[in-house]
Amino acid sequence: MFLEIKDLSVKIENKNILKSLNLNINKGEVHAIMGPNGSGKSTLANVLAGKEDYEILDGKINFKDNDLFDLNIEERAQEGMFLAFQYPVEIPGVNITPFLHSAINSKRKRMNEEEIDNLSFAKLLKSKASDLGINIDMLKRSVNTGFSGGEKKRYEILQMSILNPDLAILDETDSGLDIDALKIVTDGVNKLKTKDNSFLIITHYQKLLDYIKPDYVHVMVNGSIVKSGGSEIAAEIEKDGFQKFQ
Amino acid sequence: MNIQDNYQKNKKKIFFSENKDIQTHREKLINIFENDGFDKKNNESLKNINLKNFIDFKYRYLISEETSVIYNNQENNYSIVSVNGQCLSFKDDKIEITKILDEDYNDFSKNDTIENNDHFVNLNSLFLNSGFKIVIKKNNNIKIKISNIITDDDLTIFQKNNYICEEGSSLNLIEEYENKNNSTSNILNVIKLEKNSQLNHFLIQDNSPNHNLIITSHSSCKKDSKYTQKVYNFSEGYVRNFHYSELIEANSEADLQGIFFLKDNNTCNNKTFVKHLAEDCKSNQVYKGILNDSSKATYFSNTHVDQVAQKTEGYQLSKGILLSDNASYFSKPELKIYADDVKCSHGSTIGPIDENAIFYLRSRGMSKIAATKILISSFINEELSSIDNEQMSEIIQKKLVRYLSKVK
Repeated sequence: MFLEIKDLSVKIENKNILKSLNLNINKGEVHAIMGPNGSGKSTLANVLAGKEDYEILDGKINFKDNDLFDLNIEERAQEGMFLAFQYPVEIPGVNITPFLHSAINSKRKRMNEEEIDNLSFAKLLKSKASDLGINIDMLKRSVNTGFSGGEKKRYEILQMSILNPDLAILDETDSGLDIDALKIVTDGVNKLKTKDNSFLIITHYQKLLDYIKPDYVHVMVNGSIVKSGGSEIAAEIEKDGFQKFQ
Repeated sequence: MNIQDNYQKNKKKIFFSENKDIQTHREKLINIFENDGFDKKNNESLKNINLKNFIDFKYRYLISEETSVIYNNQENNYSIVSVNGQCLSFKDDKIEITKILDEDYNDFSKNDTIENNDHFVNLNSLFLNSGFKIVIKKNNNIKIKISNIITDDDLTIFQKNNYICEEGSSLNLIEEYENKNNSTSNILNVIKLEKNSQLNHFLIQDNSPNHNLIITSHSSCKKDSKYTQKVYNFSEGYVRNFHYSELIEANSEADLQGIFFLKDNNTCNNKTFVKHLAEDCKSNQVYKGILNDSSKATYFSNTHVDQVAQKTEGYQLSKGILLSDNASYFSKPELKIYADDVKCSHGSTIGPIDENAIFYLRSRGMSKIAATKILISSFINEELSSIDNEQMSEIIQKKLVRYLSKVK
């Protein structure tokens, strides 16, 4: 199993958010989690990425034969986990290009691969940015600083395509995107998809799933997955909402 | 030993002790010390200071002959080595360097911008034992680098320097304070910018833990002149940066900026004060600090806008990052506005490093320590990238790397 979440229970500030959650993802699969506001979707994404604000009450997570709780935030990233943030953080003064260069090399170092030099990295970045319709001038700016909502999401996908993760978690990447930006972003995701990597897509709406075809759709309500199935579930939610699952 | 006894005992070694007017002025200062009683609660000049070090000091001063002035014709650059506060006299068609004179002392003592209860400025006047005067002649554009060297342990340097930028002149001044000995320097820089002149003043402070540096400046700007001051404080010893500026004629500007990097139990106190006394003037006061371990800092910023100073623009900003729960930074902005057509603002943000930003960077594979360092560098990126002098930029970068290497 690529990612195995077993009976995961998590709380924050005395509030139980995830309750005995179970989820299995195999290599090459695309999973979508849909759920109403406050159901715990983003908490799951943050816990997977290693955010330290949460208290793990129970359960286990295995990722690529590692106990995920033995790895800190950066080790998870270096092992191939990537979280595309719902609200990417603005970091004025940190230039995009050296930041991404340093990120890719930290991963290569852990994998005992040769570090990528400046010139090769610049070429890689330019080509990936061009694929995503990102202006080269944007790469001279600070991380997410002064970006529009759409630019921030596009930049998250650029980072993802550079770091080429084994498991990408997209936390409401569709929120704040107009239809053209949504197409560019989802094209980027589809280009990255291979038989060796997996995606966990968190969304409220079926719209995103029109562009990225999931193998499995899960409905999450009140901290647990209450129903799993294929794309038909997304259509069901689009028609009737989440009410019937609660 | 109290201040009066200390003064009486060392009177003969102090500058201008024969001058009757100066003696009278000094007696007034002694009265201020006695009447104020070192009221730490209400006197900004005394906050967070171990007073004992500065009041019960043992006066000791040595004259050194090692001073030098070297002019590099190609780069239009003067390298000055000031030793124990003294500087060699020098004169050419662009600048003139002399000792300070009685008249310079008297001229400054009449100014009332610096409160008369600033005890450190008063101590400077009382025990004055060194200093120099540099005049940049009309319409010249030059660079000066001054290395301030203290030769021995246990010296008490009380130094007053005068800088005069004559009409149309431009000066790029770099001052280095990098002393390793166990001494105290109390320096007052009096700066005058004549019409249409400009001074870019950089102060690099990097003293060892036992060296105390108290530096005060008072600049006054005439029509169309601009004074820019940038302080980089990497000192491991106590530093007080108090800088006052007066915009006395129209369309003049003062830009007072500072960055400090503190660690261990170190303390630094900062103050900037801009007095707008004419119309169409601009001022900017920005201090940023990074505080680790149990370090402490204060920053008082003040903008005073006189009723004649219409169309004033005055901005203040204070920012701090606390890298430890035991570090503290107290910031107090003040605006006193007596004109009705002005644009003024102030802002202050102090707190720990942004945990969301750390999480974001770590989620891309950066270690916590690397993410912390990158965020500290980004916090002062604007100030560092605005240094247009390559040599200066390298010096500051090296010192920053040294500071960051101790951040855990």
